[in-house]
Amino acid sequence: MSFLLNGEMVQVEADTQTPLLYILRNDFQLNGPKFGCGLGECGACSVLIDDRVARCCAIPLIAVEGRKVQTLEGLGSIESPSVVQKAFIDEQASQCGYCTNGMIITTTAFLHKCSAKPSTQQIKEALRANLCRCGTHIEIIKAVEVAAEALFFDASNPLEEGK
Amino acid sequence: MLNTSNSLSQTRAEFLAKNQGLFVVKESNPPLSPAQKADDIKKPTELEIYIAIESDGKVTAFNGHVDLGTGIRTALAQIVAEELDLEVSQVKMVLGDTERAPNQGATIASATLQITAIPLRHAAATARQHLLICAAQHLEIAPDKLICLNGVIFSKKDPNISISYGDLVSRDKVVLQIDEHAPLKPVNDYKIVGKSASRTDIPAKATGELTYVHDVRVPGMLHGRVIRPPYSGRDSGDFIGRSLLEVERDSIDHIPGIVAIEVIGDFVGVVAEREENAIRAMKELKVHWKPHPDLPDLTDLEFAVKANPSTQRTLLEEGDVELAIANADQRMQRTYVWPYQMHASIGPSCGVADVQSNKVMVWSGTQNPHILRTDLAFLLNIDERMVEVIRYEASGCYGRNCADDVCGDAVLLSRAVKRPVRVQLTREQEHLWEPKGAGQLMEVDGGINADGSPAGYDFTSSYPSNGAPMITLLLTGVVEPIAAALEMGDRTIIPPYHFDHIRVRVNDMAPIVRAAWLRGVSALPNTFAHESYIDELAEAAGEDPVAYRLRYLKDERAAELVKSVAERADWKTKKGHWEEKDKVGSIVKGRGFAYARYVHSKFPGFGAAWAAWVADVEVDTHSGEVSVTRVVVGHDAGLMINPDGVRHQIQGNVLQSTSRALKESVSFNESTVLDKEWGAYPILTFPEIPDVEIVMADKPEEPPQGAGESASVPSAAAIANAIFDATGVRLRQPPFTAEKMRAGLLAKNGESQTPAKKKYGSAKWFALFTTIAGAAVVMSPWRPAITPVQVPSLATYSQATIARGETLFAAGDCTVCHTSEGGAMNAGGRALDTPFGKIYSTNLTPDPETGLGNWSFSAFERAMREGISRDGKHLYPVFPYTAYQNVNNEDMQALYAYIMSRPAVKTTLPKNDLSFPFNIRPLMAGWNTLFKSRTQFKESPEKSEVWNRGAYLVNGLGHCSACHSPRNLMGAEKVGKNFLAGGEVDGWEAPALNALSKAPTPWSENALFDYLRSGHSPEHGPATGPMGPVVEELGKLPDSDIRAMSHYLASIGSQQKMSATEAILANVTVPTPVTTTSAELTQVEPSLATAWKNGLPSQTLPSDGKGMFEGACSACHTTREQDDWFGIRPEMQTNTNVHSNKPNNLIRTILYGVQKPVDSSLGYMPSFADSFNDKQLESLVTYMRAEFAPDKPAWNNLYQTIANIRANPGSH
Repeated sequence: MSFLLNGEMVQVEADTQTPLLYILRNDFQLNGPKFGCGLGECGACSVLIDDRVARCCAIPLIAVEGRKVQTLEGLGSIESPSVVQKAFIDEQASQCGYCTNGMIITTTAFLHKCSAKPSTQQIKEALRANLCRCGTHIEIIKAVEVAAEALFFDASNPLEEGK
Repeated sequence: MLNTSNSLSQTRAEFLAKNQGLFVVKESNPPLSPAQKADDIKKPTELEIYIAIESDGKVTAFNGHVDLGTGIRTALAQIVAEELDLEVSQVKMVLGDTERAPNQGATIASATLQITAIPLRHAAATARQHLLICAAQHLEIAPDKLICLNGVIFSKKDPNISISYGDLVSRDKVVLQIDEHAPLKPVNDYKIVGKSASRTDIPAKATGELTYVHDVRVPGMLHGRVIRPPYSGRDSGDFIGRSLLEVERDSIDHIPGIVAIEVIGDFVGVVAEREENAIRAMKELKVHWKPHPDLPDLTDLEFAVKANPSTQRTLLEEGDVELAIANADQRMQRTYVWPYQMHASIGPSCGVADVQSNKVMVWSGTQNPHILRTDLAFLLNIDERMVEVIRYEASGCYGRNCADDVCGDAVLLSRAVKRPVRVQLTREQEHLWEPKGAGQLMEVDGGINADGSPAGYDFTSSYPSNGAPMITLLLTGVVEPIAAALEMGDRTIIPPYHFDHIRVRVNDMAPIVRAAWLRGVSALPNTFAHESYIDELAEAAGEDPVAYRLRYLKDERAAELVKSVAERADWKTKKGHWEEKDKVGSIVKGRGFAYARYVHSKFPGFGAAWAAWVADVEVDTHSGEVSVTRVVVGHDAGLMINPDGVRHQIQGNVLQSTSRALKESVSFNESTVLDKEWGAYPILTFPEIPDVEIVMADKPEEPPQGAGESASVPSAAAIANAIFDATGVRLRQPPFTAEKMRAGLLAKNGESQTPAKKKYGSAKWFALFTTIAGAAVVMSPWRPAITPVQVPSLATYSQATIARGETLFAAGDCTVCHTSEGGAMNAGGRALDTPFGKIYSTNLTPDPETGLGNWSFSAFERAMREGISRDGKHLYPVFPYTAYQNVNNEDMQALYAYIMSRPAVKTTLPKNDLSFPFNIRPLMAGWNTLFKSRTQFKESPEKSEVWNRGAYLVNGLGHCSACHSPRNLMGAEKVGKNFLAGGEVDGWEAPALNALSKAPTPWSENALFDYLRSGHSPEHGPATGPMGPVVEELGKLPDSDIRAMSHYLASIGSQQKMSATEAILANVTVPTPVTTTSAELTQVEPSLATAWKNGLPSQTLPSDGKGMFEGACSACHTTREQDDWFGIRPEMQTNTNVHSNKPNNLIRTILYGVQKPVDSSLGYMPSFADSFNDKQLESLVTYMRAEFAPDKPAWNNLYQTIANIRANPGSH
């Protein structure tokens, strides 16, 4: 089975019903997507499939055959973070950070589909089903606002590094 | 594989073995083995390093406390950088690792910066002093003429004269004891401490770099999972560690890559090469347990805690409290009850262990690496010195979660397989087994004097908690499961107000269920009581609650904070004596105050930061929903090392404790914890967060105070006081859920809530055996066998015919029933649950012995049209020959040709399991007489070609009515107005497609086309259960056929407009033997939800069901404004299953999820069968029905239906 992972075509030999999360973490040693609940409830495992948010703890490998998958690692790096990653770093929008992957991925897909700068209320709705236990919500909202500001101030500003 | 040692610094031993460098150390007692401890052997002290400066100038600093996600790594680096005049980035902080960091106990009590950073600061000052002296000697300049900057010491006069730290320490090795008298930098000179610094850990967290213990990968690592006993969340009693009966090891033989099954006492674990297989093994391993004893009834927490044995400690006694209260003008006895709550870490705990014969490596997210090392050595019965614990960050824990337990699991499994093993707990295990924040009982006796002053304060707190011994020690029997008390109920137990007569006592007691510290420990509940009570006193005295507090508040610094917060919040003085507030609609607003200083550690303990809240709430008096809209929080932490870090801690505390006060309470049944996921235990979400305004006291001259917990402590009281202000209802038992609020409002208004009684109907079943037997006499049951033939030659059929047969085979959905899960294509064996028992589908491949290989066309055709097998046996009408009789001859030939062209597969099929009289095949002859002709179809020439084509497909091969028409008690499809009126298949409801459809939007031709073509109609939902594979099969039909079927079905849907003669069915009238069928049995009657709906708005539904929907379902089942989500987001408002007469499809979908959608683009749904119990599912389904199908009556008997579906999962 093959799919496009963070810009590279990859092949994997595994039971196609295996949740994608374990394939990404174990077969490709990716740290971004995290196991949180296995039920798609919390958002910690989020990845982008064809630019949309997907909770890969509850999606089997077969679902991404021939599709494009991006993880947190695929968005940017410490040296060259994406706009959203940079906003999260600048706004210190992380305490323990276990949910940060889901927050950044969800924000990336959300802003990608926004036609104009979202309101705070829209941001809260977009992140409604991403759980944070540390209570970092306020910094996270701020980070999304900062990223949105950057993106909608300059429309050519890419969501992904290197694009 | 990542090399986990890359990011690690050298060990203490490696540093001390060097010939060069400066090491600032402190002596400590080394760990002892269990035997050494038993013999009370003393060993010479060892050196623990706090600061190491190497010849290359690298500075490493060590602290025994770890970063729990609060950012103390950065704050500690700031302290070291400040004292050593470095930049923060020049300091490498090492936290917790047993071979590196000093043993400073568990990271608890917000004590890192307040207490454990002190020796580190002295160590840095010691190093600086030494470096200056060395530089002075080397440069021959007096120390006071030198200046340190970024690791270099310069002459103040001539900056060209300098020497670096590295050069200074490269000449020899110097080991210095921490000098507590080494001069500390004056606060006024601070450049780094007290200024906000960006956290050093966030860039890695935001980009997926190695940070967490969950990401540790060791070469050769295997994956382990544990199977916990059924006494979830319990850790004391004789049955702990002694309840395992049997493990059926061969029950997971079918799973590939299983390396080991380890069983010790009640510890059961599996190890596999791949993680997903370890998970499968965990789920499928058959383990048998003894029953375990019940718990005290924890739904009555007050009684349960009172009944728990305890030892009382009196902590304060002044004046004569009993006399004072007896003489009070008004006596006020109050009881406050705090619920059990969870740490609720987002990531279930994880640990990696590598147990070798001479060394045990453990990678852990523990709060207390050194204590964990002791536990692990004890568990493995080895010398503690053999164990090394390397600490990585983990998901925020806020106290003791399962981080240590899972390391116990990992070492046992690694020992079993002699390879490194990674274990992560499941969400369910973390929820069930984490040591809970204990329920707590606070009893206050007191009163008020005629002048409004408090008469006395007699306070007793009961806190059933301890330190929660590592569960692995208990399950394996290494430690006896004896409930021990730990004296921790006394945090902030002394009220901050002056009472002339006061007594404060604590009942130390062992846990009832597994419990340990959770953020705020017992201080948060104790403060809830103190601060609610002072509000009650002010109210009784007719005074403003802030002014009343200030009169009795002893601590000036606290008073200053209280005043500044009240001022910032624009607190309006109240008179007390509550008066009704104006409402906007059903919403009423209120405002409350509370203050506390978190006092931690052994009584009398240490005060941490001071905190005060002004909370604004809105209460919906109709639904009872409470929201906190704004919090103004004041905080005095003295010197703030990293003010931004403190701000984040304050905000985090405010939001987390708001969540706890409004929403959180652990549920129990008679013997265990129940909540296994975020639906049953919901936490605050983004739309629910209040605005937070922070007032931080600016006191850099005061020593730093712990800020990790303080801002949580006033939360619940401030919110309860605001609720009282809004409604006049005093809630003394968090969480403040809609149900409690409603009950409070009803009680206040003198009404009582009487839940509507459930009424249960009884099914009326009639024995119809005589009827069917009578019919069987009319028509002889005996039918001849048709002679077996050789596998027919395919030469007689053209390729085109075979190809057409393939399409027809798909139109007939033959594969759906004739292929078992994981079995060979069309080789039969799928179990079909019918009301009469289980029938297994037959082998359709041309295998001569077990399939159709020796069937002539005549035999095939007879079976298809008459339901008679080649050997003359009657087939059951679950095989839809009643529909297939309508297939024309040409199509029948093509089907036969296609079947015979397929590869033969030999199978052994299970025997049908039918109840009497249905297990008597010959009786089916009578059945055919009665019913078969009813579904004969004739073309209607007056109708369009498309309509007739659709009718042919639907009533012939499509056999839609086989599932979608109700059947009578004899299993025959009902006709006439009941044609396509909804039926049942394999435990799934096949919804009505005719005018009886309950779908909120009628099925249009286009909606049917979308649904049949793509597996989803936005107006109705996705195809689930057996319909999913049907749509997949229909994928082989051309659009024109799907359009024809949709056209015809849409016409049936509006058939009330059609004349009776237009209806194609019921062209033969047969006396119907029964009038009552299962399909007609009333499924609907008034129940609680209906009663609520009739009397009250829909928001007043059971809050647990609502919480479950929001926590577990709403992520996917609410609309998103943006198209940014993979897969469809089926809306429940329009979903046919939610509007149906029967709850079956909804229940089945929730239990088993959607694992194989018609197309991956539709998305997937996980199975919740292991995550919800029947009661929780009942609440959820009740809520969904009432919320999303408000015009439909409630479903009755849900609990039983859920149990039945679980017992009969079916095969789809």
